[in-house]
Amino acid sequence: MSLSKSEIERYQRQLLVDGWDQERLKSARVLIVGVGGLGGISATYLAAAGVGHLRICDSDSVEQSNLNRQILFTAEDIGKPKAALVARRLSAQNPEIEIEAVSDKLTEANVSGLASGCDLIIDGLDNHSDRLKLNKASFDLNIPFVYGAINEWLGQLSLFNPPQTACLACLMSEELQSPVVTPVFGALPGVIGSLQATLALRYLMTGKNPVSNALLIFRGDTLTFETVTFERRPGCGVCGKTVPLGPRR
Amino acid sequence: MIVYFRAGGQLRARLKPDVDHYTRKVEVDGEKTIAEILKDISVDSAYVALIHVDGKMTDLSFKPSNGQTITLQPPVSGG
Repeated sequence: MSLSKSEIERYQRQLLVDGWDQERLKSARVLIVGVGGLGGISATYLAAAGVGHLRICDSDSVEQSNLNRQILFTAEDIGKPKAALVARRLSAQNPEIEIEAVSDKLTEANVSGLASGCDLIIDGLDNHSDRLKLNKASFDLNIPFVYGAINEWLGQLSLFNPPQTACLACLMSEELQSPVVTPVFGALPGVIGSLQATLALRYLMTGKNPVSNALLIFRGDTLTFETVTFERRPGCGVCGKTVPLGPRR
Repeated sequence: MIVYFRAGGQLRARLKPDVDHYTRKVEVDGEKTIAEILKDISVDSAYVALIHVDGKMTDLSFKPSNGQTITLQPPVSGG
């Protein structure tokens, strides 16, 4: 897939980056589920970088309490659906790419259809239960899954790609005792969403996973990163029994 | 023996740190699992999402040795 003159001009600074493969990005299809704090940031950077096709899924509308961290939205957007707003903003930012907005709620019934045909799934969700649905679809369809989550001063991310790695359910298979309202400030999803975008771009261009079987933990209160390694869980209800059947694109 | 528990997020308040803002020193009689030690110090393990020691993920059945630091990760599920 070759680049147009306009694309070469637009991407000239990143084309200078060692190992950069713009044509691969142009041919890539990525599903981003949730475009709030995390997903809004990763979607912005993937769009700006020229990932050819983004499928953006979010069933929520903008609320005033989103505005401390979801920087794609303004006060005028309150009450409007996030997916369509993000698609419109990112299309204006980069008209060279295709963006598909889906305003459906993620369910066990629709998750495979949403992910089908994509090369990568990015997690911008705000609850563990939906992440487990996404993780299952990632395994069933053999599509790598960039996980990210935040709470208070803590952020964490990984790239799950079983059977090469463990899956999210190997680490946390059950519903978590999460607070009803997650304490969060805007810069934290900024950090983790940017790292998710970096990880996604690197993986799409090279196939390399620098956090294979590892969870990168960021502590915003001490400005430290820690990498914790883990292994596949043989009894995992998702990836422990069988190998995925879906074709890798 | 002495072991150290470290926690952040909402789990920090449950741990009641005494060494620094995040860390609690615990004296343990004999060899015990993390689950048993947490029960002894009245920390409900239902609020612990992940446990890691020396950069490796482990679980409630792990038996720490003298001087080890066990990091308890609270649920991190926001986005």
